[in-house]
Amino acid sequence: MEAEKSLQNQPYTEVGTAKPCRICKWQTPDPTDPHRGQCTANRHAMGGVWKRWLRDVENTTCSRHEEGKLSFRDHV
Amino acid sequence: MNDIASAKVLEYKGKTLNFTPEDPAEAKIPSDELHEHLQKPSTARTKRLKERCRWKHASAGEFIEKSVTAGIERMRYLTEAHKASEGQPEVIRRALGLANVLNKSTLVLQEDEFIVGYHAEDPNMFPLYPELSHMAVQDYLRSDYSPQPADEAAAINDYWKPHSLQSKCQPYFDPADLGRMYQVSSMEAPPFASGYNSIVPPYETVLEDGLLARIKLAEKHIAEAQADMSTFPWNGTKGLDNIAKIDHWKAMVIACKAVISWARRQGRLCRIVAENFETDPKRQAELLEVADICHRVPAEPCKGLKDAMQAKFFTFLICHAIERYASGYAQKEDTLLWPYYKASVIDKKFQPMDHMGAVELVEMERLKISEHGAGKSRAYREIFPGSNDLFILTVGGTNAKGEDACNDMTDAILEATKRIRTAEPSIVFRYSKKSREKTLRWVFECIRDGLGYPSIKHDEIGTAQMKEYAKFSLNGNGATDEEAHNWVNVLCMSPGLHGRRKTQKTRSEGGSSVFPAKVLEITLNDGYDWSYADMQLGPKTGELSSLKTFEDIWEAFRKQYQYAINLGISTKDVSRYFEQRYLQLPFVSAIDDGCMEFGMDACALSEQPNAWHNEVSTVVAANSLVAIKKLVFEEKKYTLEQLSQALKANWEGFEEMRVDFKRAPKWGNDDEYADSIVSRFYEEVIGGELRKITNYSGAPVLPTGQAVGLYMEVGSRMGPTPDGRFGGEAADDGGISPYMGTDKKGPTAVLRSVSKVQKNQKANLLNQRLSVPIMRSKHGFEIWNAYMKTWHELNIDHVQFNVVSTDEMRAAQREPEKHSDLIVRVSGYSARFVDLPTYGQNTIIARQEQDFSASDLEFLNVEI
Ligand code: SF4
Repeated sequence: MEAEKSLQNQPYTEVGTAKPCRICKWQTPDPTDPHRGQCTANRHAMGGVWKRWLRDVENTTCSRHEEGKLSFRDHV
Repeated sequence: MNDIASAKVLEYKGKTLNFTPEDPAEAKIPSDELHEHLQKPSTARTKRLKERCRWKHASAGEFIEKSVTAGIERMRYLTEAHKASEGQPEVIRRALGLANVLNKSTLVLQEDEFIVGYHAEDPNMFPLYPELSHMAVQDYLRSDYSPQPADEAAAINDYWKPHSLQSKCQPYFDPADLGRMYQVSSMEAPPFASGYNSIVPPYETVLEDGLLARIKLAEKHIAEAQADMSTFPWNGTKGLDNIAKIDHWKAMVIACKAVISWARRQGRLCRIVAENFETDPKRQAELLEVADICHRVPAEPCKGLKDAMQAKFFTFLICHAIERYASGYAQKEDTLLWPYYKASVIDKKFQPMDHMGAVELVEMERLKISEHGAGKSRAYREIFPGSNDLFILTVGGTNAKGEDACNDMTDAILEATKRIRTAEPSIVFRYSKKSREKTLRWVFECIRDGLGYPSIKHDEIGTAQMKEYAKFSLNGNGATDEEAHNWVNVLCMSPGLHGRRKTQKTRSEGGSSVFPAKVLEITLNDGYDWSYADMQLGPKTGELSSLKTFEDIWEAFRKQYQYAINLGISTKDVSRYFEQRYLQLPFVSAIDDGCMEFGMDACALSEQPNAWHNEVSTVVAANSLVAIKKLVFEEKKYTLEQLSQALKANWEGFEEMRVDFKRAPKWGNDDEYADSIVSRFYEEVIGGELRKITNYSGAPVLPTGQAVGLYMEVGSRMGPTPDGRFGGEAADDGGISPYMGTDKKGPTAVLRSVSKVQKNQKANLLNQRLSVPIMRSKHGFEIWNAYMKTWHELNIDHVQFNVVSTDEMRAAQREPEKHSDLIVRVSGYSARFVDLPTYGQNTIIARQEQDFSASDLEFLNVEI
């Protein structure tokens, strides 16, 4: 059950997904390559923002997808 | 408890010290809004200029002001010239590109300005550089601040794809290696992928000679080379060298002529506005004066302080933003401007003014820099949060004769800085025992006002370093013993020469980063990155089960580190190879005496090596090694496997274990156990391995520990670490600074720890946070001055201070709109606190606020 939940919570490949990371509010672009990205959804109670690298922002998604854009204040 | 900050009194040497504000009026200001009451612009004009300043601060990769966008003119005119010049020598094409941009670009003139000039078609814009990295421009094209028309910008970027520095360099590397670098988790991306760069322009030749004289010089060299080619008997082994030289000199002539005509065009614009539009007679006269200045400089030598400020600003725009992008504001400003200060303020020979006139000019200069926008890549919009870019100038120190170099221009710069209160440009003060007290007092005034700068560098360490690097000069023309005193910080931390030649012209000489904490993380996972990218990030150096001893971990780390630094330096040198073939700098070359003498490009000529590479997060790595040694290999309380399990769970379910690792000895407490491991790590591995590498200029590369905002990015791309840190928490914020909140034994314990690292280092950033009430009290200067003397005696390279209270930072988090003048030191640069992400703000609040106990004061030998 836990494992299943965490699997859905993790980014996974879904070619042509309607909910790509690119338009998710938790996503911020890769520092160098615009085809990649960073997921910032993992936020620790102690203030850490533990990013995950996104290999392909168009074809990756997860169950935490939310459209929108965070303010710079909520990013790193 | 003898805690000054809370008790405000201290018994010391039989006296009771009170720490009430030196200025009694301050007692009435609530402590959580102190910094909103400190600015004092010297004139109504600079007050207005500050109020309407067009900041272009970026944070988390985004521009904070919505009106800021990329311009298209530079990329449009550069491309037009590149297409039209096909078949011509590359260096000539570069010069023609610069000329086309300067001849056709829209000029900007703003109200109230006295120092004029801009690098884009609109003061809310900044230019882009498709000739550097097409990925970086692609990122802009996808953003809210894409240049317009977007189709034209996309077509320009497509055109440059095969011609860009990125495309030239990439084929020489394994794509897997480059993919690892592009993530900026264990290594910074190479310059050809990011386009990031920095430079120390030889301003001195522009101010002293003027560009017309540089043109004459180049033309003389061309004539001599042509004469040499027609001299009997022809010698093909030497004569053919003239071809490339002639091309370089011709390109220098084109570039200098274009810059003169651009400056004069700016002057004509001022005249047109004065004669046709301006109704205020005072402003009319002022615009005509500016028109006259722009007609004369940078074409002719400067005669007064106004000339020098304007010529310097034009040169800055070309070297840092128009010919090529380069971060920084490196210059020895007080030395550079002193002759013109003397002519205008002391001798009143030309452009006469009083000292406060000079102060106003500096305030205006600071505001011009504060609205300078940089078209840098996303990585660099992330890693200097709250800033436009890194702008850092240097003052103080000693001159070529070894005497105190402080002068009244130094004081004017510092006074203007205190009065106008901008985060940029930052200032480095070269501290010497010879520095005069009058100037030290100004340095202190800026620091205690919470600007976070001047940051302090050890004068003698920097000078000795210039002499040492000179020994490796490839043409035997490195710094002389006198010239070794002429150094500035190239960016935040690394010294390099300033002057008419031998300065650093490209960041492929020194710069770029490696992240030891991330390298340690993958070392404990056989080179695999489980916490961010889920891929192999380094070589396979052994499964956890094969690491039987502490030395096994040490050696596995060494191999991972060797891989990362080798890649870091080789990508810089390959960039250098192609920079001098396709990205020549004819203007920078024209104003460098060495390039002018040899007919060489600035990216190619290396007279004074300055090889450095930044280490960021060394302390997290080092503290982790200390904890592993103690708890796993000595006390055997936990196994490596248990540690790995706890880390993979982000310590969840392992709280007792996390506390043990968190409580293990930490760097910065004068703790012999921790310090012996940490200093060995710095000297033997971080510096020792790096110096085995020889760079393009023939010198060993040395580490320059400086975090900028990378400590946040690296922390967020890293899982939990054996120092007790949670996944995603920031890394250490300096280069050698204790991890935030772990330096519990007071400020002098920090100094004693840091002084133990001496070998194989180029520079190391020390971030300290000092108590506001102590610094603002009547004893503040004496205590700080004694601290600085001790710091100097301990032979420590650097220190910088935050003097800002937690109360005020918390208040600014609650109501940012009321705290726009609260400035903090991030690391190597300062920023408006409200322009930082909350994540970054919290890292500054979490830093240990150092009080001074009686024993600290005794150690510092404070005389009160
Ligand atoms: S869709 Fe999921 S993985 Fe992608 S950015 Fe959003 S939260 Fe992260």
